[in-house]
Amino acid sequence: MLSYLIFTLTLGGIYALLALSLNLIWGGVGMVNLGLAGFFAVGAYASALVALAGVPLPIAMLLACLIGAAAGLLATFATIRLRGDYLAIVTLGFAEVVRMVALNERWLTRGSDGVSGIPAPFRAELGVDGFNLLYLALVSVIVLGVFLTLRRLDLSPFGRVLKAIREDQELATFAGKSVTRFKMQTFALSAAIAGLAGALYGHFQTYISPDHFQPLITIYIFLAVTAGGVGRPVGALAGAYLVVFFLEATRFLGELFTVLEPGQVAAIREVLVGLALLCVLHLRPQGILPERIAPAPKPETSV
Amino acid sequence: MSSFTFSRRGFMGGVAGLAATGLVPHTVMAQDSPIKIGALTPLTGSGGPYGPVMVKAIKAVAGEVNKAGGVLGRQIEIISEDDQTNPEAGVRAARKLVDVDRVSAILGTWASSVTTAVAPICWESGTLLATVSGADAITALPHQGYIIRTQPTTILQGRKFGEFAVEQGVKKLFFFSPQTPFAESQFSNITKAVKAAGGETKSLIYDDKKPSYRSEVDEMLAYGPDVIVLGGYATDTAVLLKDIFRSGYEGKKIAFAYSVNQKLIDSVPAEIVEGIFTIAPSPAESSSAYKRLVSLIDVQNPDPYTTQVYDQVNLVIMAIAKAGAADGKSIRDAIRSVSQAEGGAVVDNAVEGLKLIAAGKPVNYQGASGPCDFTASGDISDSQFRYEQVNGGKLKLLKIA
Amino acid sequence: MTIVAQAILNGIMTGMLIAIPALGLTAIFAVLRYVNFAIGAYATVGAFAAWYVNTRFGLGVFPAALVAFVAGGVVGLIAEQTALARLRPSGALAVAIASIAVNLILENVIRFIFGNDLQGFDLPIARDWRFAGLRFGPQQLQTATLAIVIMAVVFLFLRFTRFGKAMRAVADNPDLGRLFGMDPARIAMITVVLGAGLAGVGGVLLGLDTAIDPMTGSRLLLSIFAAAVLGGLGSIPGAVLGAVMIGVGEELAVLVLPATYRSAVGFATILLILSLRPAGILGERNT
Repeated sequence: MLSYLIFTLTLGGIYALLALSLNLIWGGVGMVNLGLAGFFAVGAYASALVALAGVPLPIAMLLACLIGAAAGLLATFATIRLRGDYLAIVTLGFAEVVRMVALNERWLTRGSDGVSGIPAPFRAELGVDGFNLLYLALVSVIVLGVFLTLRRLDLSPFGRVLKAIREDQELATFAGKSVTRFKMQTFALSAAIAGLAGALYGHFQTYISPDHFQPLITIYIFLAVTAGGVGRPVGALAGAYLVVFFLEATRFLGELFTVLEPGQVAAIREVLVGLALLCVLHLRPQGILPERIAPAPKPETSV
Repeated sequence: MSSFTFSRRGFMGGVAGLAATGLVPHTVMAQDSPIKIGALTPLTGSGGPYGPVMVKAIKAVAGEVNKAGGVLGRQIEIISEDDQTNPEAGVRAARKLVDVDRVSAILGTWASSVTTAVAPICWESGTLLATVSGADAITALPHQGYIIRTQPTTILQGRKFGEFAVEQGVKKLFFFSPQTPFAESQFSNITKAVKAAGGETKSLIYDDKKPSYRSEVDEMLAYGPDVIVLGGYATDTAVLLKDIFRSGYEGKKIAFAYSVNQKLIDSVPAEIVEGIFTIAPSPAESSSAYKRLVSLIDVQNPDPYTTQVYDQVNLVIMAIAKAGAADGKSIRDAIRSVSQAEGGAVVDNAVEGLKLIAAGKPVNYQGASGPCDFTASGDISDSQFRYEQVNGGKLKLLKIA
Repeated sequence: MTIVAQAILNGIMTGMLIAIPALGLTAIFAVLRYVNFAIGAYATVGAFAAWYVNTRFGLGVFPAALVAFVAGGVVGLIAEQTALARLRPSGALAVAIASIAVNLILENVIRFIFGNDLQGFDLPIARDWRFAGLRFGPQQLQTATLAIVIMAVVFLFLRFTRFGKAMRAVADNPDLGRLFGMDPARIAMITVVLGAGLAGVGGVLLGLDTAIDPMTGSRLLLSIFAAAVLGGLGSIPGAVLGAVMIGVGEELAVLVLPATYRSAVGFATILLILSLRPAGILGERNT
């Protein structure tokens, strides 16, 4: 039971990084990244492959961040000037392309077999339980570090510019801010965090494959950020842990509905994820931990 | 908003469940508490067409054994989790099965990626993992004996496909497959067999999410094969078969039995599947396990995954009886002494096997998917195959060899 | 040369399949200004409704498509009224995200009711015709005809009916709708029925060519989006043009690229077009 808790908390931390990444870009400048799973994958593959080639882990993870950021710049380069809707769709497509490359470029990614035997720090020395504890500590410290950095950023002049862009892009431009540059910087930073989450996931699980990075995880993270409150890092953090516990708790539903077929229980679980997202959007659109300064209300049919 | 209270209740129930299980110390578990076995199958996602009936077969066997008094005086409880055909979700499910439910075995993992992701959890916690996945790499993992696989290796399977094509007089063989972990190895083994008989081969790997494969079929027509091998799963194969039919291709078609299964045959017009050959691992003709399975779950022509999980659960239950203990390590150590005991009495189900084991007799299980004899690395050592052909909307047995 | 011509022909046929749900998506966007991810599930709902009446009551393609339109439209309207409409004040992105949740819920409700098994229509299948070295199927022709008829009806509806005019006016400027004496809320509702209904019909056309399961619509979501975005979100002719371009592009790509990268072609095409014309081929220039 304890090991289950440790595992769930570690995974919660990795989800939290993804949620922080999404919150930065969505809550920060109001851009939607539906390709989160893609950046997660880029980081995971980058770090795993260079670590297997003998690069020390800290450098491998750093590389994952850099490559994640580069992928973020690449994905947004052509689309950064577009409306939010277009960006959402382009990022969704980006994630699918990443999955396809991972699936088909065997020489690089080992294709559908996936990459197994990814180095895990001190796993041999500490044993399974010791390693899991150490990794929980490592992930938690990194989450805390990223969280504190983002919170500082949130309150810094940079963060204020971002919110200005989110609320009124034209006004921000008018005020002499280079909107495009700010957006690209933010997107790159956000993608780097998602890449770091991927790297941490890979070294934790020691195995990754194209199947890992299906769009469902992006939906989970959207649920996390919405539930926690868009725009505030602490909300994203709380939301991510909540979602992981919610996902795990719904497993025990099967015991309540013993008359149903297993396939039906599985369907109910996914319906619940959807309903939870809808309920949060409707009942508490500002999330559990809303922004202190509420965003300006939007006109009914605005873009 | 009743839905919200509903989900909240589910959440609370879950938390209570978490807490309750956690509070029971391991040692207090009484001897007469049920033996827990996990079923980890794809109930949603791209493997969705296969998982539900697999769970049904596993539960049916457990029910049958429980009715006959259980094993070691204890009942068997099957705990089913959905791997969502996604290793990320599969790992979470496996951790719950291993850490919370403390199952002694996990049965049925389907996608190779899920199996590979779940495998370390199993060998590190001393839980047996029985899988139907096809990737050759799986049994090469450092699993210390904790993995057994009822799916024949692609070396064996590819050779059989190739040899069968040769029997059909193949000159030019075309291999259609989505990007699976075994596509490449399957194709190279087919090629080896076909080349040896003087034929030639070509392959095309397609994207399995498309609503039409007309241009892919054109590429096949340009090659002009007399035999096509289909390496996909039911959903994409259904689309592909329609386009092959429309193209006017008149040659032979060979497919995996899990792909052109009865469900697929029932869901498409009869003429597009007419005459397709299917190949599946099989027990000897004299074995009755396959027929027993059909009557047990009331599914005509169960596909190979269903026959395999039927065998997995029977083997695990008998191994528990043989070992006199229900932990994963004991199952691992005992499983080969019920699957392939030298001179053992041939049995095709656990109920009968348990009686013989109780009487101190050796047993040799002959399952619904084959003789179920395992090598040291966990692969099945040899299997016969059943060759069937679609005839008037039904699968007709041609031969077992 | 024949190979290229054949690929183009195949592409037009595939494009027709995507065009109808893409029309639905773009119609909803034109009036309500949000990207509806539930369009995939509406297509699946339509496909299952049509399959049900086809296999249960023996209805042919056209009446079954009509049932699919109604089923898609009704489910779309219910989803809109219960889950989406009230979120409009929170902005287009909130509605879009809610529609992702709706998509997940509907897909699994279908799974709950019908299971994961493949289901097929009870309709005959025919061999392709051959003409001048090219082949095309009577069924493709039927599907294409149906698609063209539907598109024509939609165009005529928008162009000549009072409601259609009001709808286009609202698409251009929300306040203009009032000039036509129409309640914007009613226009929104009818648009949703139209859009979701079209997605439902698209699901049937898809199901005729393939076999259906709970993921039928979701599997094609990306292609549908690519088509609508390529043509310009909100542009009705754009959706059709985009769908055909994606279809042809994918089939041509198979000639030079590994077939596994087909879906990536759609994505690459969007990136290219969008960097040249940020609002799509026929999209509005402003905003």
